[in-house]
Formats: sequence, structure tokens, C-alpha cells
Amino acid sequence: MGFLSPLFLALGLGAAVPLLIHLLRRRTGVRIQFPAVRYLARAEQEHSRRLKLRNLLLMLLRVAAIVAIALAAARPVSRALGHVVGAGHAPTAVAIVLDNSLSTSVIVDGRPLLDALKAVARRVAERAAPADRVWLVTADARTRGGTAGAVGSAIARTTPLAGAGDLPRAVLSAAALVRVAGVVDPVVALVTDGQATAWPGATDIGGVRLAIYTLDGPAPANRAVTAAVARPVRWTPRGEITATVSGRPGPGAGDSTTYRIVLGGRTLARGAVAVVPPDSGTGPGGGGGPISLHAAPPERGWIGGSVELEPDELRGDDARYVAFRIGEPPVAAVDSSAGAFLRTAAEALVANARVSLGAARPPARTIQIVAAERLTALPALIVPPSDPVRLGAANRALERAGVPWRYGPAARGDVIVEGLVAGAATASRPDSASTAGAPVTALLRYPLQPQPGAVADTLARTGAAPWVVAGPDYVLLASPVDPAATTWPLRAGFVPWLGDMLGQRLSGTAASGASAAVVAAAPGATIRRPTGVEELEAPDGSSRVLAGATIEAPSVPGVYFFRRGGARVGALTVNPEARESDLARLGTRALAARFRARAVGVYTDPDGWEAAVFDARAARPLTGFFLALALALLLAESVVTRTRARGDGAASVSVRRAA
Amino acid sequence: MEGSSRADLFDPATLASMGHIEIVARWVVDGFLTGLHRSPRKGFSVEFAEHRPYQPGDDLRYVDWKIAARADRWVVKQFEEETNLRALLVLDVSPSMDWRGAPTRLTKLAYAERLAAAIALLLLRQRDAVGLVCFDERVRSTLVPKARMTQWRRVVASLERLRDDGADGARQSEAGEALLHAARLVRRPGMVVLISDLLAEVDAVDRAVRALRAAGHDVVALHVLDPAERELAVSGDALFVDPESGLTVSAAVAEVREAYRATVAEALAEWRGIFARAGGRYETVMTDAPFGAALRRAFAARQDIAH
Repeated sequence: MGFLSPLFLALGLGAAVPLLIHLLRRRTGVRIQFPAVRYLARAEQEHSRRLKLRNLLLMLLRVAAIVAIALAAARPVSRALGHVVGAGHAPTAVAIVLDNSLSTSVIVDGRPLLDALKAVARRVAERAAPADRVWLVTADARTRGGTAGAVGSAIARTTPLAGAGDLPRAVLSAAALVRVAGVVDPVVALVTDGQATAWPGATDIGGVRLAIYTLDGPAPANRAVTAAVARPVRWTPRGEITATVSGRPGPGAGDSTTYRIVLGGRTLARGAVAVVPPDSGTGPGGGGGPISLHAAPPERGWIGGSVELEPDELRGDDARYVAFRIGEPPVAAVDSSAGAFLRTAAEALVANARVSLGAARPPARTIQIVAAERLTALPALIVPPSDPVRLGAANRALERAGVPWRYGPAARGDVIVEGLVAGAATASRPDSASTAGAPVTALLRYPLQPQPGAVADTLARTGAAPWVVAGPDYVLLASPVDPAATTWPLRAGFVPWLGDMLGQRLSGTAASGASAAVVAAAPGATIRRPTGVEELEAPDGSSRVLAGATIEAPSVPGVYFFRRGGARVGALTVNPEARESDLARLGTRALAARFRARAVGVYTDPDGWEAAVFDARAARPLTGFFLALALALLLAESVVTRTRARGDGAASVSVRRAA
Repeated sequence: MEGSSRADLFDPATLASMGHIEIVARWVVDGFLTGLHRSPRKGFSVEFAEHRPYQPGDDLRYVDWKIAARADRWVVKQFEEETNLRALLVLDVSPSMDWRGAPTRLTKLAYAERLAAAIALLLLRQRDAVGLVCFDERVRSTLVPKARMTQWRRVVASLERLRDDGADGARQSEAGEALLHAARLVRRPGMVVLISDLLAEVDAVDRAVRALRAAGHDVVALHVLDPAERELAVSGDALFVDPESGLTVSAAVAEVREAYRATVAEALAEWRGIFARAGGRYETVMTDAPFGAALRRAFAARQDIAH
């Protein structure tokens, strides 16, 4: 037996009071002259045994009553005794983790699945006693506490998230809440649809009990755009949108679906695409497809688009958003000092309409492709001098142009260049193809030496030394673009890389400066605020000022634009996690295996789950029992006190004895 | 409202506050006799029975002078009570008698004194000889029975002298010895009236009563009780002290009251049995009861003896 308020056991010391009274009572009272003392003595003598027994019984009843009251005040709970005489459940701390991730918005039998989960969760809130502590933790780890009624209302108000949330983090938060509540049997009550992708690994909640309600049966059908990519980020003005569709069609449903690609509110393409399960697909996202659209839209500037499917049971993942910038091809001027390979690559880009050569019309600027000693203005792609004797002139030219880097003395030796990727300028393309085949090596290099205040992105390096750095309006290489100095111009990725440098890194206007990248985030995710970004423009045109190093992504999927100085300088695409579209469920055993806790129970019936939350086998409160016992004892004491020895007169007593 | 003018029916304490023993006893007897004359049971009183011829030695007070004047024949009036009863009042004056359970009541001794005086007066008015023995652990005073009215003043004086003497420490009641002493004072069969709270040695009293009965005496015991003694009408825990023996008993009254009542009832029943078995008469007299009630009980015995 345990006690929730053990300090009140000190009240039990009060039991000494009737004991002392019992022991001292014969020594108290007044002195009375009474001639018939002999009769009194005889009465005492003849009834002393009964009187003693009665007094002893009274004393025991009073002591027991006080002890029972003290025990009741100490709020005892007991597992063994509680099952016999206990009532209700021991005061506990319950954190209800309600899975309101996007997957729970799927329509099942005509109503959102979340409604069913909320109904189950409310059962615990309704059964909670006033002494219980109750919290609600949703999939985004938001916590709401208060009375059971307040939590019940919070459950009723809960709406589905637009993304997956972070259910393991929510469970950990819930465990932390109940753990500090200081109750005997803290419990986390998880209500989830059992989506397998929501529980990627083991979650350890230590000494807290976990009761899980999950759904059995097959997962609902769902089709989703699990990936959508616009390449490149800067269209000049041509670009490509690729998308992946995956899903698990329901019984009788077809294995294909229709899609459309929308750019700036205008449908660019429609079609049908096969739908295959995500774990057997061949597309970039693991599903069917990919859908691919090459286009050269007439719009200019930052623009958002989407790839959309026909609606199904889970609407939240039927569209995926992309963003990119459409502009004229960058204008470049290749100086002869840059070398033949850069000229040839530039001509190849010109042939593909990704670059034009000549003089740019304002506000566009001409990108210089030039050796450092011939540098006169930015933007520029700068290569080292072909002759080491021009190193000093090169550094002076860099200084004049405001490039905070200098070339060091020539270094020779075959070193591997790391980090070279086509499209390295776009952070939104983590899946960009790297330079396949033999590694790129550098035979001759002029170590890049940063000057005070140098802020740049290191795009490639040799060991720990930067090999390609990019700053505002410049890209600086450490080796001449010549097979005698590096193998890079011989690689297939060289031309795309040059296109990226010209189109993405160096093609910004004078007014906008360096372009921000396209940032992809899940709803509600925390991301780093891009440098220089001042505002975030919502799809409805409203803006909010950004502050701090990090920002929270909007909770509604869509395309949001970063703004600086009133102009769009980048985009934020908010899409649900692709894994959230896979509604496959874990079995009860597999789900239980995802947790480490004092005890884990997985239930598919609400009644069993509810009983498990308020563990029927757990300790039950005995306060009521002890209060009833105390009442009974006091009642018995009252009866004994009022009861007179009615049979006393029947005793045959001789007056002679007393006399 | 006849009863309201009869002193024998007054509250004893109220009546006692009106005067000395002598006065109170006289009021009581007067009131008592008034009640008797109007009672359907008046036959046992000092009633004329018949005439008989005068014989030398007869008391001239009983000559019927009207008949002598009319018929020139001397006859004397013969009364039923003319038995020349010799009565001895044996009064317990031990410390236990000098106790009362409430300030509004007389002590048992005060009640017994007034009752004894009234009985004596009543007996003397019937021309009985009355004596008085006062005792505690020993016989304190003795008045040999006499039938003169002056005897009553001696009785009253003796009672008042006892009060003036006051208590001189704890003295246990030796009623048996006193009764035996009384037996020696009454040579021919008479009546012995014991007025006591009977907090005495039972066997000694039993033996004495039997001895008195064997000697032909009638024995009447008036057991004087304060209501508080019978009911244990106190509250709380207390240390009870016997003023005679010094015996102390600590008791919680609420717990022992019923048992005490039962014990007292047993004791009274035992006393009644003792006197009944010996052929005596036993009456309980509560100190809150009018003197008339006690007097009537005493003279019920006198009536029995006369018949």
C-alpha cells in the first residue's frame, strides 16, 4: 500500500489521545462525599469486568477511528486491497497523445478518421477524476493542460495537421509531463492510426506506462504526389518539372490517376499516371512516374506551381508545390584569358539557350568569365592566372573588384577535389547527380586565401582547402580550367556546373543582389532564415516580417516567397512529408516494439484501452474505504457509549459481601 | 385544597425551615391526625371502645364523669389503643446520616430527627410510652420509655442536643448494638422503631432484629434514603469518599450508574427480606417525601401491633 500524501499519517499520533484518556481517566475527577460508597464499590466490583471490556472496546474503537481517519487523509492506494474495497482509480497523471497528423484526415466511412480517434481520446478525459492530472499532446508536440473538461474541449477542437508532425517527440514530451507529476502510476495514453512511417524507430519513455489505442484492419486507399521538383531553380526561361505519384489503390480502384500541372494559377499540362505502391515504384519518390514537363513559360520572376491529382480519401497530399524563378538566359562574356574549355562550355550552353553571349541589357548584367588578372568588374566567374608570374596582378585585380579572396603561391600535386556537383548552387536539389566516374583531381592550384570579412560558400575543396568559393557576384576557382591543372573540364558535369554557376549564382540583377534559394519545408517545421530575407509572402499576397535566425514554416501547404526590399528573392515550398502519404499501418506487436517503457499495451478496442489507461490492475484509492471505516467505528463507538449494562441488575449479589 | 394546609404533606425541607424540631413535629402530627380523622381508615386511632366498671387503681382521668353524674355509677372509658405500648425509637446519628444529595433537601439526619419527634409525639398522644436511643458506632444517648407528655420535650431536647454536639469525626454505624441496647430498655414486649440509612453491618442488624423478635418486640425499620443515593444523581468522573469508613471509589458515573441502581435495589430488597424473615416491618423513607407519608407507614405498624 502506498500513500499519496504520506505526511498526513502524522495525524495518526492523535490515536494516542484516547489511549491516554483511557489510562488517565481513573485519576481525574472531583472528590465527592458519598455515604453509599459501598454500593458503588460493589457495583464497580461486580461490573468491573464488563466495564473494563467496554472501556477497552471504546478505547480501541476510538483509536481505530483516528487511525482510519489518518489513513484516509494520507490518501492510500493499494493494488491488493484496492481490488477488494477500493473504488475508482488512483489519482494519476495521464498525457493523452492524440495523433492528428495528416494521415488521420483520411476519410473513412464518410468521416475523417481523426473524429474516431478524438472520440476515443475523449473517453479518457471524461473518465478522469478531479484529482487526476490530464494533458493533451498533439502530433506537433503542442501541449494543452488543465482540467479534464478543458482537455476534453481541446480534444474536440483538434484539427488535422497538414504534415506528419513528430509523434515520437510528442510521446517523449507527454512522458516528461507525467513523469514530473509525482504520481504512482503515470501513464501516456496514445491514440494513433498506427501509421508505420510515423514510428520509424524506437522511442524510450523510461519508467512511464504506455497505453496505445490503434486501428486494425487494412489501411485506407490513398494516392499522393510524393515528390515534385522544378529544375533548375532558375528557368531561363526553359525548365522542367518532374513529379512522382505513389499510393495504394483501394479495392476496385484503378491503378492510375489523372494529374495536372499548374503554374501561377494556369494549367500547363494534364495527363494520367500509373499509381504503384511506394515501396515498389521506380520514380524518384519511390512511386510511379515520374511525371515530367518541359516548359518555357512566359512569366518572369519567382513563381509557384503545383502538381495536383484528382481528389481521393486523403486530400492533404493530392497536391505538391514547387517554386522557381523564370528569367532571360544570363548574358556572359568569355575572356580569352579564361581558356578554351570555358569558352567551349559556354558555347554549349548558348546552344541550349541557357546562356547568351554578348552585352546584357540593364538591369541584367554581363557575367565575366575571366582570369583574375583581367578582372575589371563583377559579376564574374574567376579563374587563376595561367602564368604564376601574374599572381600579383591577379590579386590586385581581385582587391580592386572587391573580392575578399587572394591567390596564394602555386601548389602542385595531384589532389582530389571534393564537393563538385552539378547544381551545387541550389540547396533544394539534394538529389542532384554528382560527378560520376573517376574523381576530379587538381594538379595545379593557387590556394584561396580569405581576407578579413570574407563571407562565401565553399562549393568544392581539396582536403581542407577551398577550391571553389562563391560570394556575392563572384565564383572563384583555385585551379585554371585546363586539363594540365585539373581534370574538371574533362568531366561530364562540367558544362551543367558552369550553367548552374552562370544561371543561379551569378545571374542576379544589380538591384536584387544574390538570389535566395528555394527552401522546402514541411508544415510547421523550423528552418533557417535565408540571409537577407526580410518578409515572407503568403499565397494570398499577405506578408509577415521575419526575425531571428530561424523561422517556422507555415502550417498550410503552398508556395511562399521570401522578400527583401519589397522584391521576391526566393521561395519557400511547404509540402507534407512524402512518407505521410503512405498509410500502411503497423500491427499491434510491431507497434508495441517501437517503444521502450515500463509497460506497453496496445489495444484496438476503446474499452480495453480505456481500462488500461486507468489500469484496472493498478493500485486503487482506499480513501473512501477508510472514511467509511472511520464512520463505522465512530458509529460503533456511539452505540457502545450509549449502551448500558442492562443485565447488570440480574446478577445475584450479596449485600454482605460489599458490607 | 385540603392538603395544602396539612403540614405533614409539606415539602420536608420547606417545612423544616419554618421552625425547630418541636414545632415542626407538632405541625406534622396535627396535620397527620387531621388526615386520619377524615380517613376511612380511622379505626385504628385513639377511639373509644366500651365502658367497664371502675376498679381501684384505675386512672381517674378515664372515669366517665357524665355517667357518674347521671347514673351515680363509676365507669371508666375503655379505648382500643389502650395497650400501654412501650415504643423505643432507635435513631442512627452516624456521619452517613448527615448527608444530602442536594441543597434543597434535608440531610437524612435532619429528616430522621423530625420524623422521630413526630412519631414520638404521636405515640405519646396515644398514651404510649416512648423512649429514644441515638447511636452511631456506639449508643450516644438513651431516654427510657415513658408515657408522659413531658417525655416528648425530653425527646426533642435530646435530638437538639445531638445536633449541638455535632459530628466528631468518622463513626461507623453500629445499628445492631443499638437495637440490642434498646431491647434491654424495654422489658415487656413493645415496639422498636429503627430510623437509619442502614449503612451498617447487615449480619449484626439481622441478629439484633431476630433477638428483638425473640423477645416479643415488634420491629419497624424506617430506611432513610436520599434520592441521590438511590439514583446516583451526579455526573462526570469522581472520587467518591465514604464519610464513615473513608472508603474511596473512583468511578465514571455515566458508566456505573445503572449498575449502581441495580445494586441499591438489590440491597433494599435484601434489607426488606431480612426484616420480613425476622417478622419485622421495613419501610423506605425518601428525604424528599412529606413527613406524613413516613408517619403513616410507621403507624401502619402501630396499628398492626394494637390489633
